[in-house]
Amino acid sequence: MSEPLNRRGLGRRLSALADASVADVLALTAELPVGDVPRIGLTGAPGVGKSSLAGRLALHRAASRRIGMLAIDPTSPLSGGAILGDRIRLDELAGDHDIYLRSIASRSATDGLADNLPELLAAMDAAGFDEVLLETVGVGQAEHAVRSQVDTLALVLMPGSGDTVQAMKAGIMELADLYVINKCDLPGAAQLGAEIKRIQALARAADGWQPPVVQTSIHDAQTIAELSAAIDRHQCWLAQAGRRTQGRRDRARYRLRLLLERRVAELIDSLDEDVLSQPLATQFTALAETLASAPAGPRSR
Amino acid sequence: MNTAEALATPLRGKRILVAKPGLDGHDIGAKIVALRLRNAGAEVIYTGLRKSPAQIARIAVDEGVDAVGLSILSGSHRDLVAQVAECLRAEDAADITLFVGGTIPAEDHAFLDSLGVRGIFTSDMPLDRVVAELAAALASADAA
Repeated sequence: MSEPLNRRGLGRRLSALADASVADVLALTAELPVGDVPRIGLTGAPGVGKSSLAGRLALHRAASRRIGMLAIDPTSPLSGGAILGDRIRLDELAGDHDIYLRSIASRSATDGLADNLPELLAAMDAAGFDEVLLETVGVGQAEHAVRSQVDTLALVLMPGSGDTVQAMKAGIMELADLYVINKCDLPGAAQLGAEIKRIQALARAADGWQPPVVQTSIHDAQTIAELSAAIDRHQCWLAQAGRRTQGRRDRARYRLRLLLERRVAELIDSLDEDVLSQPLATQFTALAETLASAPAGPRSR
Repeated sequence: MNTAEALATPLRGKRILVAKPGLDGHDIGAKIVALRLRNAGAEVIYTGLRKSPAQIARIAVDEGVDAVGLSILSGSHRDLVAQVAECLRAEDAADITLFVGGTIPAEDHAFLDSLGVRGIFTSDMPLDRVVAELAAALASADAA
C-alpha cells in the first residue's frame, strides 16, 4: 500500500469543505481535481438495511483495498442540525477496522446527496483510497443525482415493501447497475428477484450491461462476497474502453448545477418582500440581475 | 448571550461526537442530549455503546468534529476521561473540545478540569443550560 493515510488532515479538510460557501468552492477547485478513484454507490429506501450492508461490504472489500466511505444522513430542516448514525453499524462490526468512514449531513440538498458532495468526493479521491463507497440518504424516490457521482450504483431493496413499484415510479430501475435484495431470508425474496428481472429486461440493456440481481443477508458472509464479486464484474465492464467518458461528463454537469442551484436558492431566500409582490417576470429579472452582479456570493473565510 | 439566542440554534455548523466509553449500557441520557444538540443546530455523530477511548479518539479525528461529549454513568469517569484525552493528544487532536456528562460527583470536577475538560454536565442540569455552556465553550475555542 501507499503512504499512511493522514486521517487528521483529511478529517479537517472534509469539515472545511462541508462548510464552504459557493465562492469558497470556486476558489478551491484548482486544489480539487476530479480523480479517477473507483466509486461505488448504495442507495435505496429507508429501512432496507443500507448501513448494515454497506458496513459488511466495506469490511469485505477492505481485505484487499484501502476503503474510504461517505455516508449521508438527512439534515433537519427546522434546526439545521442532524443526527448522524450511519457509523454505529460499522463500528459494531470491527473495533479496529482501518476503514475511513465519514458521516455527512445533507444540509440544503434534497436529492439524496449533500451540499458540496462533489468537492468532498474529490478530497476523498486525493486522499489515497483505492476505492470510495457512498451511501445516500434513504429517500427512495430522489436518487437520480447519485447516478452521476458513482461508477457502480447498487439499488438496495427488500422483500415485502412494495419497493419495485416505487423504484419504477422514480425511474431508478433504469439507473442502477445492480439490484440488491437485502434481508433475503425474509419471505418473498425470490419472488421480488424474479419480478425485477422481468421489469429490467424491458428497461435497460441499451448499453450492453445487464444488471444482475444479488440476494444478500448480513447474517450470511457468502452473500456479501457475491455482492462484492458482482461489483467487481461491473467495474471490469466499465474499464473497457470509453465507458467512463459519458459518466465523467454527467459528473461535471451535476457539479456545476449543484453550485448554481445553491447560489440561486440563497438569492431567492434573501429577496426583498416587495420584489415578491411584483409580477413573476419582474421577480425573475431582478433575481437574474442580482446573480449577474454577484455570481458567486461572499467568501465565508 | 440572551435567552432568545440560547433557545435558537447556537450550535449551527458545529460537529459534535456523543460517545459512550466503557461498559455501562445505559444510553438514554446520551440519546436525549444528542437530540437536544441536534435541535440546537449541531451535526451530532453518535457512536453507540461500549467504545474504547482509542476508538472514540479515532472516530473524532475521522469525523473532523469540533467537540467530543462523553456520557459516563459507570463511575469510571476519572480513568476513561484521562484515556480519551490521552488518545486525542496522540492523534494530534488535543484542540477538540472535550465535555463530560452523567453521574459525576462534585469532588471529581477539579480533576476532570485538569485533564482539559471544558464542560461537566450532570444529569440534573437543564438541557438548555448544557446547550448554552457548550456553545460558549466552542465560541471561546474558535477565538483561541
